[in-house]
Amino acid sequence: MKKRNNKKKSSQSTFARLSIFQNQKYKIKKKCPLSGKDGPVVDYKNIKLLKRYVSENGKILPSRITSVSQKKQRELSLSIKRARNLALI
Amino acid sequence: MNLYEHTIITRQDVSSSQLKQLQEKYSQIVEKNEGDIVKLENWGLMNLSYLIKKNKKGNYIHFKIKADGKIISELEKSEKIDKNLLRYLTVKVKKFDLETDYFKKNVDKEVDKKPKYNYEKKK
Repeated sequence: MKKRNNKKKSSQSTFARLSIFQNQKYKIKKKCPLSGKDGPVVDYKNIKLLKRYVSENGKILPSRITSVSQKKQRELSLSIKRARNLALI
Repeated sequence: MNLYEHTIITRQDVSSSQLKQLQEKYSQIVEKNEGDIVKLENWGLMNLSYLIKKNKKGNYIHFKIKADGKIISELEKSEKIDKNLLRYLTVKVKKFDLETDYFKKNVDKEVDKKPKYNYEKKK
């Protein structure tokens, strides 16, 4: 039985992280993809990077889905808003 | 003296000679007031992601300026009136990133190379 459960978990990727009532055991802890020494530069001109953290409708994705650190999320939201002003996103 | 990044968007139907005039006009304002233009980038005609004053496209010009804050307010004062401009944005930065050019023409090709989602696999 347990093995089956594990297989299901891997198939449903993003929505599993979203649920509030999920088991503590299965919580996914991921490192922030932007921080670290060789993390990419967050900048309003770097559209390729910014588009990854924006939904299809152009909304900023919450950090609990993207696992971006708090400090980087602040930078991201500012630079996304700048890019919006210039009609880049 | 501070470092600023300054971007302006002109209308789509501006001719190339007019573009040069606009470039000179604003770079002269900076140079007259003892400012310094470190770099001038012309990003060219790009698609806007939404309509601005019924324009689908816009010419982007990007300045990297080393100047006092007074000059920036003077720049923006004259840009507000200018009918050929759609938007402008100034950002104060601590350090200039002179190496990476995000809007070179081969950037567009790289986007196309991205592996498209394979629908056949799902079936």
